[in-house]
Amino acid sequence: MKRITIAFLICSVLVVLLVAGCAKQPTEDIKAAQASVDAVVTEGAQKYAPEDAKMITEAMNAAMEEIKVQDGKTMKDYGKAKEMLAKVKTDAEALKSNLPMKKEQAKNTALAAQETAKTAVQEAKTLLSKAPKGKGSKADIEALKADVKGLEDSLAEVQAAMDGEDYGAAMEKAGSIKEKAGEVAAQVTQAMEKVGAKAK
Amino acid sequence: MNLSRIQNILLAVALLCLAGCTEPPIPPEVKQAEEQDIALWRSEAPVYLPEEYGQYKKALIKAKADFIRERSRLILFRNYIHVQSEFRHLLQTGNSIIGQLEGKKREFSRNIEEKLSFLGNQIETLKGLSKTMNEGRLARRDLIQAEVILIEAKKRFEKGDFIGADEKTPSLAEHINAAEKTLYPIATRYSDKKQIGQWQHWFDDTIAESRTRNIPVIIINKSERTLTLYKRGNAVKSYKIGLGRNGSKDKLHAGDYATPEGRYRIIKKLPRSCYHKALLINYPNEDDRRQFEAAKKKGLIPRTVSIGGLIEIHGGGKDSMTYGCIGMDNQNIDELYGLTSVGTPVTIIGAVDSMNRFSSTVQGK
Repeated sequence: MKRITIAFLICSVLVVLLVAGCAKQPTEDIKAAQASVDAVVTEGAQKYAPEDAKMITEAMNAAMEEIKVQDGKTMKDYGKAKEMLAKVKTDAEALKSNLPMKKEQAKNTALAAQETAKTAVQEAKTLLSKAPKGKGSKADIEALKADVKGLEDSLAEVQAAMDGEDYGAAMEKAGSIKEKAGEVAAQVTQAMEKVGAKAK
Repeated sequence: MNLSRIQNILLAVALLCLAGCTEPPIPPEVKQAEEQDIALWRSEAPVYLPEEYGQYKKALIKAKADFIRERSRLILFRNYIHVQSEFRHLLQTGNSIIGQLEGKKREFSRNIEEKLSFLGNQIETLKGLSKTMNEGRLARRDLIQAEVILIEAKKRFEKGDFIGADEKTPSLAEHINAAEKTLYPIATRYSDKKQIGQWQHWFDDTIAESRTRNIPVIIINKSERTLTLYKRGNAVKSYKIGLGRNGSKDKLHAGDYATPEGRYRIIKKLPRSCYHKALLINYPNEDDRRQFEAAKKKGLIPRTVSIGGLIEIHGGGKDSMTYGCIGMDNQNIDELYGLTSVGTPVTIIGAVDSMNRFSSTVQGK
């Protein structure tokens, strides 16, 4: 009787070991989580939400480490890893759904900055076209015209950055152009005052 | 002791072992190392100390692999002592990187600050030159683009984005170089000893002629933008003047907007000119013709172009935007007109000494 009990116990342990040991890697979960991470990176998460992107990548790494831990065990249990992968997937999807909004915000801010810069350059240009090329101002006006042309060249770079969806760079350049255009306009006014003309 | 008893004892020991074995606590250093890695990433260690951070990352991966291996063992055999010491060592390395990072960032920011300041000074120098020389306008387009980039770089620097600021410097330098290429070849003539020697020679001869023949002579100094009237070798009057649009260059052909350099004479006085009053000089002289022919032979100027002429000292203002003539304010040409006559020598030079407004800019480069 006792022998039967011991044999039963051993068999039970073996069955448990066999079942647990045969637990397979959650490959589908890994694939799904990795696909979500890849998708969010492709959407530009590292550019628009670098901190969130880093956290998601780290969480994915941690999940993979947990899988490795279980891989090395006799009694494998991928439950925790599955939970981690599910969280990675959820977080990545949430970030991905937020990205268009973040992108749009960045785009709109850059567009506004681009418009402001364009207006500032146009104002300087208009002022320059009204400046009388009289005694003492001709050389200054010629130089300022070259300045405006240079600013127009820089405006083209803003557009190139917008086209490349590099809204940060576009905004940065637009801000600098606006600053310089203001200085040029002030110099045009100065040159006009030099010859006694009033800025209109 | 029979077999069943032994079996029972073994079973009891095994069950006791399993029941009594709890998982040893995970060393806190593991979590600390993960946090440290994030902190290093945030501090841009991969950018400022790529080699050191690379080594750290390798060690972290190894430590994690060892930790994983240890966690994979049966609880009974799990022992984190080795892993803990590995992570402690890693944390020390990380702390050392953080320490180095501060110094590295300080050093880098200092370098960038110096670089931006140097490039800013270059822009200012060239802007100064662009205002002094008529040809300056040709460089302004590049200079203002350089200024725009400099503002961007400075803003990045102020935000602590030193790498970003540095990324702006190549395009900044590119525009500065383009402006230099436009301006320096013109300005370099004004620091060329041979060229200055020739101008000095013309100046001395003209003054000597004034002294020996007791006649008025005119010296036009391009770098100073002055016209000076000498009598008996002494300066008696000086006026501010303007030159051609490309007046700092020596005139070579028609339509180059340059003002000629050489020894000339007034050949005609025009009491009524579209520029108030004018004194026509004998450009081109023999030297000019020789220079023109030589340039044509060398293919430096188009075959169809002529040498030009009708270079005058005239009124209408001293704006340096003439076709190559010397412009003066009307009241000054009125005065000069009365002090000169047909035959009065007019010598046009770039500069009278090597320390002139253009050469100082080139030397200060």
